[in-house]
Amino acid sequence: MKKLSECLQGAFIAILASPFILAWLPAIQAMLTGKVSAPYLDSLFSSFRQLSITLGSTLLVVSSVTIALGYASVQWPIVGKITASALDAIESVPAILIALFCYAPVSGYLAGHSGSSSAFVSLLVFVFAAALTTLPEALRGITLPLGDLYYRKYSLSFRSYGFTRSRILTVLLGTHIMKDAFKRTCAGILLKTLVLDCSFGFIIQLGFGSYGTPAHASPGALIAANRDALFAGGEPLLFWIPVIPLVMISMAFLIMFDDGKAKEI
Amino acid sequence: MRFLRFLALEFLLRGVLFAVLGTAALASLYFLSIGSPAEQYAEAFRSFILLLSGSSDFSAEHPGFSASRIIMSGAAITLPLAIASLLILVLATLSAAAMSTTSQYLESEYGRKASVNFLYPGKFLSALLSSVPLFVGFWVLGSAFGSNAPFIPIAFISVALGGLGWDAGRFLLADMRTQMDTTHTTVFTTLGLPLGRLFPLPGTYSGYLLSSSFPRFIPYLAGKVPAIIGGVTIAEIIFSFPGLGSTLMDALLSHNTDLLIASLFILLCVNAIVTFIVKTVLFLMYPRWYEKAV
Repeated sequence: MKKLSECLQGAFIAILASPFILAWLPAIQAMLTGKVSAPYLDSLFSSFRQLSITLGSTLLVVSSVTIALGYASVQWPIVGKITASALDAIESVPAILIALFCYAPVSGYLAGHSGSSSAFVSLLVFVFAAALTTLPEALRGITLPLGDLYYRKYSLSFRSYGFTRSRILTVLLGTHIMKDAFKRTCAGILLKTLVLDCSFGFIIQLGFGSYGTPAHASPGALIAANRDALFAGGEPLLFWIPVIPLVMISMAFLIMFDDGKAKEI
Repeated sequence: MRFLRFLALEFLLRGVLFAVLGTAALASLYFLSIGSPAEQYAEAFRSFILLLSGSSDFSAEHPGFSASRIIMSGAAITLPLAIASLLILVLATLSAAAMSTTSQYLESEYGRKASVNFLYPGKFLSALLSSVPLFVGFWVLGSAFGSNAPFIPIAFISVALGGLGWDAGRFLLADMRTQMDTTHTTVFTTLGLPLGRLFPLPGTYSGYLLSSSFPRFIPYLAGKVPAIIGGVTIAEIIFSFPGLGSTLMDALLSHNTDLLIASLFILLCVNAIVTFIVKTVLFLMYPRWYEKAV
C-alpha cells in the first residue's frame, strides 16, 4: 500500500501538471473568454496544447532510443564506448546552439509555408534537436544502473545457469531499480525539453520576429511576443499569464526528478 | 611528464581540437541542410583559416568583420559572464551544502530540529526559482536596467533560475551526506573543531566533508560549463550585449555564413577555456582523481 505522503505528492504533481490537461478542454477556454483578448487566449491555449505534443513526441523518441542504446551498450560494450564518446562530444556543445543550428537552415522554409506541413517540419526539427541534447544524460541514466545490475552477483549466477545475456538484460530492465531510473530519466528528458522549447521559442521570436519563428507554437514565443507588456503603458498580466503555468509544470517535473534521485541515493 | 600529458589531452585534444571539430560539424550540418554547393564549403574553410590567422578582414564575401573584433566580443563579454556565473555557482552551492550538512549534523547529534526546519523554506525557494525559465528572469532584469544591466545580477540569474544551481546543490549535498556516515568523519568530529555552518572552510566539519566530495564535484562542474555558456548566450541576445550570442544571432539573421562560423568557433573556444580552467583546478588539487577520471 502506498504511503499517504506518496499519494499527496502524486496529487500535488497532478495539480502542477494540470495546465497540459486544461489546455485541451474547450470549456476552460470558454470560461476565460472576455477576461483577455480572444486572439491572446487562442495563442495561450494552442501553445500549451502544442507544448504537450512536443514534450510527448520528444519523450517517446528519446526514451525509445535510450532503451535501445542502453540495452545495446551493456550487451555489446564496444557499442557503449563509441556511443558514449559521440554523446560526450554532443554534450559539450550548448543545447541552445544545437537547436539554433538545427533551425537556421529551415527557417526560410517555415516562414514561406503555412499550415500543417510547416508545423510538422518545425516539430520534427525541434524533436531532433531536443533528442540530440537530452540523449547523453538520458542514456547515462539508464546505462549506469543497468550495467551495475548486470555485474552484480545474482546476474552472474543467472549466467552460470545458462541464461543468455539478452535474456538477463530483459529481466533486469523490468526490475524496480530500473523502473525508478526510467522514471527519473523521463522527468529529466521532459524538464530539459521544456526548458529548451521555451527558451528557444523566446530567443527566436526575439531575434527573428515572425520570420523564421518555429511554426509550432511555444509558450516561450508567446511570452516574447508580449514582452513589452512589462514596460510603462503595457499590461503585465499578458507577460505573466503563460509564465505561471510554465513554472507549475517545471515544478512538477522537478519533483518527479528529485523523487527518482532520492530513491536512487 | 604528467603535466605535459595533461596539457596535450585537455588543451590540445579536448580544447583546440574539440573547438575546431565542433565548429566543422555544426557548420557542415548547416551547409548540408541548406544544400550548399561544394564551393561554399571551400570558401567557408578559407575564411576560417583567415580568422585563425587573425586577419583584419577575414571574410571575403562580407568584408568589414575583423577577426579581432569577434574574438574581443568573446573575451570582453562572454568569457567574463561565464566565469562570473561559474564562480557564483560554486560559492552558492558550497554555502548551501555547508548549511544543510551542518544542520543535519546538529539534528542527529544534538536533536536541534530548529536549524533543519529553517532549511525547508530555503529548499522550497530554490526549487521555485529553478522552475522559473531563465529568459523570464533576464527579461524582468532587462525591463529594470535595459541594456545596461550589470554582469553580477545576470550571472546570479543564470545560476539561480533554470535549475543550474538547484542541480549542483543536489549533487554536492547528496555526495557530502554519504560522507557524513563514514568512520573517518565520526573521528573528525571528536577533534572539537568548528562546524563551518555558513561556508565549508578548511579545518571545519563541513570543510572536511567537502574535501572528500570536491574531487567528484569538480568534474560535475566541468560538465555544466556548456549549460552556463548556453545561459550566457541567451543573456547576451536578450540584453543586446555585443557578445558572441548577439553576433551569432546577427549572422543567422543575415545568412552570413562566415560570421556564423567565426562566432561559433569563438563561442566553442570560450566553452573549452572555461572547461580547461575547471579541469586544471582538478588536476592541480587532485592529480590522482584526475587520472582516475581520465
